[in-house]
Amino acid sequence: MAPPPSLQVNLSPAELSFIRSSLAQTPPIRLDHAKGPKDFRSMRAECDVLPGANGSARIALEDGTEALVGVKAEVEKSQWRPVPGESARLTAAGEVTMLDVDDAADKDENTKGKGQNSWVEISVEVPGFRDDDALPVFLAAMLTETLLASGELKDRLYINNRFHWKLYVDVLLLSPLLSYPLSLLSMTTHLALLTTRLPALKSEKDEDPLFDDDWDASVQLYGKERQQIEKPPVIVLAMAVGSNIIFDPSKEELAVADAVLAVACTTSANSGGRIVSIRTVDPPSHLTPPGVPNAMNSATGGKVPTSSADALTQRELLSNSGVWTPPRGGMKRSLLSGIVKMVVEKGGVAEEVIEALQRVEIG
Amino acid sequence: MPISILPPSPQEVPSHTDRYVSDSDEEMADAGDNDFTSSNSHSIVTPGETITSDPQWMRGHGTYIPPNSTTIISTLAGTLQKTNKLLSVTPLRARYAPEIGDLVVGRIVNVQAKKWMVDIGAAQLASLPLSAINLPGGILRRRTAVDELNIRTFFSEGDLLVAEVQMLHQDGGASLHTRSLKYGKLRNGLFTSLAGAGGGGAKRNGSGGVVRSRRQAFTLQTTAGEIDIVLGVNGYIFVSKHTITAGDEKDASITRLEESVSETLYSSENDVVPKDLMREIVRVGTLIRGLVLCSRSVDEEMVVRCYEVAVEMEAEENVMGDVLVGQGAKSIVENILLRIESGV
Repeated sequence: MAPPPSLQVNLSPAELSFIRSSLAQTPPIRLDHAKGPKDFRSMRAECDVLPGANGSARIALEDGTEALVGVKAEVEKSQWRPVPGESARLTAAGEVTMLDVDDAADKDENTKGKGQNSWVEISVEVPGFRDDDALPVFLAAMLTETLLASGELKDRLYINNRFHWKLYVDVLLLSPLLSYPLSLLSMTTHLALLTTRLPALKSEKDEDPLFDDDWDASVQLYGKERQQIEKPPVIVLAMAVGSNIIFDPSKEELAVADAVLAVACTTSANSGGRIVSIRTVDPPSHLTPPGVPNAMNSATGGKVPTSSADALTQRELLSNSGVWTPPRGGMKRSLLSGIVKMVVEKGGVAEEVIEALQRVEIG
Repeated sequence: MPISILPPSPQEVPSHTDRYVSDSDEEMADAGDNDFTSSNSHSIVTPGETITSDPQWMRGHGTYIPPNSTTIISTLAGTLQKTNKLLSVTPLRARYAPEIGDLVVGRIVNVQAKKWMVDIGAAQLASLPLSAINLPGGILRRRTAVDELNIRTFFSEGDLLVAEVQMLHQDGGASLHTRSLKYGKLRNGLFTSLAGAGGGGAKRNGSGGVVRSRRQAFTLQTTAGEIDIVLGVNGYIFVSKHTITAGDEKDASITRLEESVSETLYSSENDVVPKDLMREIVRVGTLIRGLVLCSRSVDEEMVVRCYEVAVEMEAEENVMGDVLVGQGAKSIVENILLRIESGV
């Protein structure tokens, strides 16, 4: 997807060249000079901000970007669909109930594979963009994809054969688009899902669902008692400049990226970090105009090349690093594996981010 | 620590007491003898808020009187100012209002037949006519049709430049010129914007921004070399490697300006910047951004002072061995300001 107009860079070739060369140093010098390559921009977060929602969270970055997420759950009638091996059971309704296991501990086992993708609906609203603009649609698709990837969330929305929870996740970017918002929106969604509570179920089996109206008795979607299950995935952005890998790039840093990856990762108590999905994001740097070297600029005493072929040859021969040339191609394999390793390793980015978000929820 | 998530900062609750002009008699007597004060400089009014309904006050900038009434209503979000019997509202954040002679940093937005349109953070784009720049070539010459055709070789879209406001038009738009060797294209460095904080309001209400009418372009001595800093009055700032310009020489007279226009004036190619110097340039940029986040005004003294303390603190941390990494620009500057204020 081409970058949206507001993310397109309007930096001069000299600036781009400067930022790139500073990020390509070892260790990279980031625009916030105290930050290392794995450091995230500092942020402020709070959860349970919307009283009317099942779960909500707000995160504000230091530069002013701010996101608000509300999660709403509704009981919806499930559409009947055939399940392999169920036709025999349907012949005798009495047998179905006998097959059902009442034990709460086995409930997760029981609902496995019964969730459907349509039970989670995410809408993303970005100020200045229409609902059907490419950016919000793309962001919503990315967030939906990562939430559904492991299949755990949708299975948890299963109530019984006839009813399920439908989860509406409304993602709002409150500020104008100051940097690529995917990682921020994903973190806010994560935090909102962590705090999401659903009313406790009182009815049994395939009865019409009846809920406990005591909110204190409600159960958390990602509750403590389900420690073994995975946390909702979080997307982190990683970009490559030369041989350096930089996490959570700012807008200016993104403007000189060779390649950008959106890595969705999750952790569970027993298995550490795990990658759910990876996507490449088209960096805005591909659309920047190249700088004109002094030798080709008539205003600096150079000679303008006579033909475009000539200009192309001269550019290819450029050994001067002071001239901005937009990056071409994608990411090297070694960098890709480097990023994956940095995310999933013990104490890596995935664990750090999810632990930090967990601490916000506990308060 | 790659990620730090903080709780939301507590909101300051504005006091709602005694913020408006009261229409009691003693207030009138009071207002009589302290002329030229901004007594309620910390009370903030919002658009549509009634300031007073007393007919004795006159309305100034940022206020409005609906027809057939004497009520003065604020049209801006900002601080209330009283000058004798005149009430005006200074906005908290405003776009830059150009004034003749201001040194500004701008970015080319589009290129037209004989002029460039430049974003200087004002309400309108400023124009930079082809006739208001120094043409390269070493001889004093008129601009020709060839120059018009080659307009993009001087400045093209996205390029940064430092210029002076030459003229203001009727509609508030500005016209710039770069006819001095101090002005021209910017390279070898980093751009920082304090958008919104620019303009004359900065000094009065203390909301941060560049202070006008101080030394705007200066050189900072660092361990890694010299750094040029241009503080545009419009809140655009450029920090770069120091270059020796012909303007430094005393004999660059106004008539020989064109002769000394160097070959690299319109270059968009960076020189080789050593790694240490690059780090210092980025550091200064971070500090300036942090100063604005702490709502401090930015001037030469402040920047130099902050830089010195920052270097000192880093050296101490290196000696002590507890290097603080991963803090944001704001917390770094907060620490620095704390030290400056306690040290003095």
